[in-house]
Amino acid sequence: MSGKTGREAAPFWADDPEGAAGEYVLGTLPAEERAAFAQSLEGDASLHAAVAAWEVRLASLAATVEPVAPAPDVWDAIEARIPPAPPAVSGDGVARILTLERKVRIWRLAAGAATALAAGLALWLVVGLRPTATDRQYLAVVDRGGALPALIVRVDLDTGTVQVRSLAAETPPDRSLELWYVGTGAAPRSLGLVTDAVDRRPIPAALRAGAEGVSLAVSVEPKGGSPTGAPTGPVIYSGKLVRE
Amino acid sequence: MPTVEAPADAELARLIGAVAVGDRAALRALYDATAPKLLGIILRILQDRSAAEDALQEVFVRVWQRAATYDPEAAPTLVWLSAIARHKAIDRLRQDKAARLTQADEQWLERLADGRDGEADLARRDALAQCLEAVEPDQRDCLVLAYCEGWSREELAARHDRPVSTIKTWLRRGLIGLRNCLEAP
Repeated sequence: MSGKTGREAAPFWADDPEGAAGEYVLGTLPAEERAAFAQSLEGDASLHAAVAAWEVRLASLAATVEPVAPAPDVWDAIEARIPPAPPAVSGDGVARILTLERKVRIWRLAAGAATALAAGLALWLVVGLRPTATDRQYLAVVDRGGALPALIVRVDLDTGTVQVRSLAAETPPDRSLELWYVGTGAAPRSLGLVTDAVDRRPIPAALRAGAEGVSLAVSVEPKGGSPTGAPTGPVIYSGKLVRE
Repeated sequence: MPTVEAPADAELARLIGAVAVGDRAALRALYDATAPKLLGIILRILQDRSAAEDALQEVFVRVWQRAATYDPEAAPTLVWLSAIARHKAIDRLRQDKAARLTQADEQWLERLADGRDGEADLARRDALAQCLEAVEPDQRDCLVLAYCEGWSREELAARHDRPVSTIKTWLRRGLIGLRNCLEAP
């Protein structure tokens, strides 16, 4: 294999992954290599392990610095940037979130056998969220062990719309992601495909009476959506509407 | 393996777990416990205070987004957080080269050797200090300035008056020497 062909076929770190991982940690990779390496890290367990090992080896050097108290407004800025701000969580709310946490673990296990998606995803479900809402707010945060929240799904009972906003959902090649809702004791019904853009659709009749306890799920389907009208592929995220 | 920081680390790990399920109070507690240290680390790379505080913001937004990916088996909490802080600082520095004065702090190794209680795992720190001692001085200088202060290959090349390719070789050799020393039985 000539050098040039080899470079095109393999990533730049192929001949020295350990050294490249070390230089990634040092921060000395050239910009392009740094970006390519960071991107591959997400899906490559051995690179990830090599990087973690370097972080651990060198960490004591960074630990020698003197702490410096940040200005008070730094926290305010952080808080302003982490959506959403849920209302004070009642004891009941905490219990529900813990339930959700257990479910996330189950989903992770289930998803482990399913299609490998590069990014872990999360589903944020907000129902009836209004600035002055009294007792009509629902929230669920579901994280499949990964990166950014994938979707925000807002069901507005007043306007009768479901708004689906994709943040970081990554659709596997030649597949579609389909969103489903599942009422108690009912079969899943489609809420349509997950697209890249903000998408508004009418609220299904079954949800108009209220959304308490309704589950949402996203499954991997053939391109264009499930051919049968029911989920056929693995469910990769899911969440239950929680009343705050 | 138990370390001196184990109890604090367990508490921080618990907070990260809570952040992963959207607990904002846990993020605040994590911030209170670790932000000063992380800002200290960032300020050695980005000497501009306001750029450093911007980067600190980015760090905690990322922690909020990525808490679920934290793997306690792979690294202690502070190592994970410090890594996020260093990478944010370096990314910012590469975008804005004027953010840092290229004036090296020569005290890194002394501070590492001095040690202070309550910081990182003592045994690990001693091992790193010893093994850095064993690395060739030029290579060591490059490793330390890159890691601690965010020096690029080009900046190190200018400092040592060598081609960039030589610096790359030094860095790789230094890293491998360091690893072999740290992992020697």
